[in-house]
Amino acid sequence: MVKAKRGSGGVAVPDKKELSGRMPIEDAGIPAELTLFLSQHIGAPSKPLVNAGDEVKRGQKIAEAQGAVSACLHAPTSGKVKAIEPRYQPVLGRVVDAIVIVPDGEHALYEGVAPVGDDLQAISQEKVREVVRESGLVGLGGAAFPTAVKLEHPPGKKIDTYLLNGVECEPYLTADQKLMEESAAGVVFGFRALMKGAGVEKGIICIEDNKPDAIKAMEEASKPYPELEVAVLSHRYPRGGEKQLIEAVLGREVPPPPGLPLDVGVIVSNVGTAYALATALKTGLPLVERIVSVTGEGVARPANLRALIGTPVSYLIDRVGGFSSSPGKVILGGPMMGVSIRDTEVSIVKGTSGVLVLPREAVETEPVLPCIRCGKCVEACPIRLLPVWIAAYAENDFMEDAEKMRAMDCIECGACSYVCPSRRPLTQSIRLAKAHIAAKRRAAAKK
Amino acid sequence: MADKLLITSSPHIRAAKTVRGIMLDVVIALVPASVAAVVFFGIKALSVLAASTISAVLAEYLYEKAVRRPVTVGDFSAAVTGLLLGLTLPPAVPLYVPVVGSVFAIVVAKQVFGGLGTNFVNPALAGRAFVLAAWPLHMTSAWLNPLTMDAATGATPLHAFKGGQAAGSLVDLLIGNRLGSLGETSAIAIILGGAYLLMRGVIDYRIPVAYLGTLGFGVFIFGKPGALFQGDPLRGILLGGALLGAFFMATDYVTSPVTPRGRTYMGIGAGLITLLIRYWGDYPEGVTYAILLMNLATPLIDKFVVPKYYGYAHDALARRKAKEGGR
Amino acid sequence: MNKRSLIGEFTKGLIEENATFKMAIGLCPTLAVTTSLVNGFWMGVAVVFVLTFSNVFVSILRKVTPDQIRIPVFVILIATPVVIVELVMKAYLPAMYQILGIFVSLIVVNCIVIARAEAFAYKNSLLRSAFDGLGIGAGFMIDLMLIGAVREFLGTGTITVGSVVLPPKPLFEPMSVMLTPPGGFITLGVLMTVLNIVFQRAAAKKAKTVS
Ligand code: SF4
Ligand code: SF4
Repeated sequence: MVKAKRGSGGVAVPDKKELSGRMPIEDAGIPAELTLFLSQHIGAPSKPLVNAGDEVKRGQKIAEAQGAVSACLHAPTSGKVKAIEPRYQPVLGRVVDAIVIVPDGEHALYEGVAPVGDDLQAISQEKVREVVRESGLVGLGGAAFPTAVKLEHPPGKKIDTYLLNGVECEPYLTADQKLMEESAAGVVFGFRALMKGAGVEKGIICIEDNKPDAIKAMEEASKPYPELEVAVLSHRYPRGGEKQLIEAVLGREVPPPPGLPLDVGVIVSNVGTAYALATALKTGLPLVERIVSVTGEGVARPANLRALIGTPVSYLIDRVGGFSSSPGKVILGGPMMGVSIRDTEVSIVKGTSGVLVLPREAVETEPVLPCIRCGKCVEACPIRLLPVWIAAYAENDFMEDAEKMRAMDCIECGACSYVCPSRRPLTQSIRLAKAHIAAKRRAAAKK
Repeated sequence: MADKLLITSSPHIRAAKTVRGIMLDVVIALVPASVAAVVFFGIKALSVLAASTISAVLAEYLYEKAVRRPVTVGDFSAAVTGLLLGLTLPPAVPLYVPVVGSVFAIVVAKQVFGGLGTNFVNPALAGRAFVLAAWPLHMTSAWLNPLTMDAATGATPLHAFKGGQAAGSLVDLLIGNRLGSLGETSAIAIILGGAYLLMRGVIDYRIPVAYLGTLGFGVFIFGKPGALFQGDPLRGILLGGALLGAFFMATDYVTSPVTPRGRTYMGIGAGLITLLIRYWGDYPEGVTYAILLMNLATPLIDKFVVPKYYGYAHDALARRKAKEGGR
Repeated sequence: MNKRSLIGEFTKGLIEENATFKMAIGLCPTLAVTTSLVNGFWMGVAVVFVLTFSNVFVSILRKVTPDQIRIPVFVILIATPVVIVELVMKAYLPAMYQILGIFVSLIVVNCIVIARAEAFAYKNSLLRSAFDGLGIGAGFMIDLMLIGAVREFLGTGTITVGSVVLPPKPLFEPMSVMLTPPGGFITLGVLMTVLNIVFQRAAAKKAKTVS
């Protein structure tokens, strides 16, 4: 077992995983309509391959990747393309083109979906990469960065370690935990495939110590493979961030932006991604569904659902018995980094790991008080920044100073806002500074 | 849906600790010291503490009303200031001393500079410094014998100690059976409060540890007149106001550095200045001025003591390479 | 800029352009000599006299003073009334001269006096300059007396003017710190805060009634 260090900063957050942690993964079923955004994540939108009125089947490719940071899309079920029209994408926060599918209920599989094999020896590295590319695989931890881009790293870089991220440090969420508990073998198979695709010899599976069952299952499943190890980390937010994980497990620090884990010889992927690759290899089914924790004090029966990509949030909430009280906030993702949505008619994307409903009384906004210089935000920041100054500069429009204090290094983890006893919206202010600085840099680059 | 869903920027949950909760914790942590004061010095102690606390809260309320700012007495910071100030006073001072001290602390040291968060010196200590300058006689002679509560004529044990004489048994010092300011006498009560604050994560251990460590070490070296390395560090820390200062005054958020390393420096600095004043200065005790001076140095420390950001080593390496390449 | 009336030139020095509390100039004597009301009064008298006459002299000679050497000229023009004040004080108020001492001579370089010469008298007519000097001086005198009174009262418990002592016995233990320089700074700061709040309130009210 790998001994993990404490790492920089971080905060103790409530666990709340008990809400949905004991619920087995269930199938969510097929909603009345699916919305597949052509932009699932940052990067170029994918190009549709179907037209309104076309019949599609489960697993059929309906949009092609376009550009470097992009991934293709597949129909999650059989049915008819109702329209390709602009719809609100909650994670990006803007309206983007989306393919809208009305399922026919048959759930018929596309003819082209065929298993690749379940013997990794027999599958070439090239083949793994192709499957990753063709299955539209993206990081399922939240950021949804296309996995193919990570595997096909530039030849000059030497990668020595592959980290599998099963930390799931956000409170409430249990999607990764349940996947590891229930499908450990599949996750390990997928992980080994990822390692093969990337040409990496050593793999470490990282899990926080608040998931003993998952740790046991993964240790069990990885035992036959000497190249795999399990690292147990203490529960602390945001241990599951890519950079924090690398720091805690390997003692390395990724260079500041635009530095990438590649620069220190590491690739990090989420357990969900590994499992999706396993599915793609074993059955041929591309990434069309994922595990979503529908949880929070605001839903009647918290659960972990296997949901089709594009399922409306309202459908998922109905599946778990609806709201238990007047909802105050509905969040896609976890409470620390998730995005709150204004209505539940929006659909989930590939990166949606959870739907969190907080009851109205839990989201009362408290008044923002003057900073008392307690330094808690400084201690909390995993990047070792000084959130109190950056935010103060940002609030007073001293963007140059905010930039000098390295606002751009901030990973927007929210730890500083979380701990602030004065309830200052530090992360929000820093985000503002980042947007401002990024715009300035773009303008400068254009010149 | 009838009700609108709330949209905010992440994070969507907040830690339980609020400014008010923190201040309440400090009040709780001061309870043992206050109780000890009342036990040893009786009704006199109670009236001084009550006078300082009530007048601090009232001053805050009235000032904020007068200048039409939102009233913030609900955050308990004024109560903390008042109580702390009271604990630094000798037991037999006339009651106008705590009242004037509190008003000065709240109005001049805190509110005029913008209220909680923007004051540049610790209000309680500023208040103490003011009354010390205003009525030096009261502040250095209004002692009471503990328990018997009759006026004491002798100098405080700190004086004796500085003269190189024995200064009471350690047990007496720990319990508080000695002359001294209200909150300074019982070391155990203060340590109890400090431990509570540390346990609750309210204060950073670095300031008290660095402060008391520096002071103890310094007393060990210079504490015995005419001889080096023969001082008594334990009594050096237990006597006078160092404990109260280290746990409750120097750790004041507003006037201490925000970075962990900066706080260590603050503690060391305060320890050194305390030593300097105690052994080479005119004043009997240096805690107040040591902390006030370090308060003034805090912005400077904050400017220069910045943690190395994540990934700094890479940048440093790149810079070094670029330099070598340039040669 | 529309010109003020002569009365306006006088009254502006009391509040609007009050040397101590509004412009915060001439602070050295303000802090040094204001340990009592009487000290403040006599220092104020000296400044009123010097300021009025220096303004008058500067104004008279403003047309013939070359720009390049105006400051030395001002200093000479200011030094004249200062010496007069000094000698008069020495002769008739020796006790007070003992207390104020060097600060009377230092009026020569007092920045209120130089500032009025440079900023006002050098550009304005004789009469205007005289009223300006009187007004600013009077304002300064009031400031000194105010600070002096507060410090004397808090620092000694009583206010003594000649043989009148009020209140006859201190009502409380005097705060010795108020007689020291830190006490001066504190008094100045607190008074400045209070007066500015009062002035602002008054100005706001006036603005409201006008509109
Ligand atoms: S949001 Fe940014 S500044 Fe705040 S703790 Fe996280 S990384 Fe640090
Ligand atoms: S946590 Fe909040 S109150 Fe404390 S220093 Fe940071 S911004 Fe200020």
